[in-house]
Amino acid sequence: MRWPRGAPGGYNSFVSSVTPSIRVKVLFFGRLKEVAGGAEESVEVIPGSRIEDLFAGLIARRPELARYRGSLVASRNQEFAAWSTPLDSGDEIAFLPPVSGG
Amino acid sequence: MVTPPSGDIILLVHESIDADALVHHVCSGADGAIVTFDGCVRNQSHGRRTLYLDYEAYESMALAKMSEIATEVHAKFPIDRVAIAHRLGRLEIGETSVFIAVSAPHRAAAFEACRYAIDTLKRSVPIWKKEYFEDGAVWADGELPPVPQDTPARKRAS
Repeated sequence: MRWPRGAPGGYNSFVSSVTPSIRVKVLFFGRLKEVAGGAEESVEVIPGSRIEDLFAGLIARRPELARYRGSLVASRNQEFAAWSTPLDSGDEIAFLPPVSGG
Repeated sequence: MVTPPSGDIILLVHESIDADALVHHVCSGADGAIVTFDGCVRNQSHGRRTLYLDYEAYESMALAKMSEIATEVHAKFPIDRVAIAHRLGRLEIGETSVFIAVSAPHRAAAFEACRYAIDTLKRSVPIWKKEYFEDGAVWADGELPPVPQDTPARKRAS
């Protein structure tokens, strides 16, 4: 997917045809998978984007994700990661609700 | 399945967990104790009758986190081997969802390591449980895993 130009919420990491971009894989689990409408997608972001920016872009497309921002953690390449973590091309980013195994 | 060089076993399975095989695996002649934890599906949750559970995992990360737990229990406790298995998919009442076996020369370390392993698994391994009741289904309340602190913002080029 590509972020639409002028996405709401001040989100400025849209990708136009002339902006260099990187592509990351995004995974959703548990209830987030249901809210997001799928388990996996490929997303383009501009270089320098952080996990926070990626999630803001996802919210711009699916506003209902916003209410989960405070009750999920993110991972980058199978490691828990802070929201400020920068993205690299090919990263696998997952958004994880509270875990309930056992 | 991940089998670290230590001889530990880390496993996600979609069918019944073979607890006997795991106990047999961790047992050696140097051990004086094996402590196991068997987590099984309860028939109710907060007073509502449970019909069955459905577990899902971020499998690659779950295996990595379970391996980290095994490494940690070796570092913290004088144990011999540890086996950690979690089942995924639909589980009926009474079935085993998670099984942990720890062997050690002495019982205290085996008890403590087994307790540490299940407590840490429940807090930090990306596995989720959906509970099915007669009148609907809900994702179980869980715990938010600890996450590294935000790194300071990178300096901007001046």
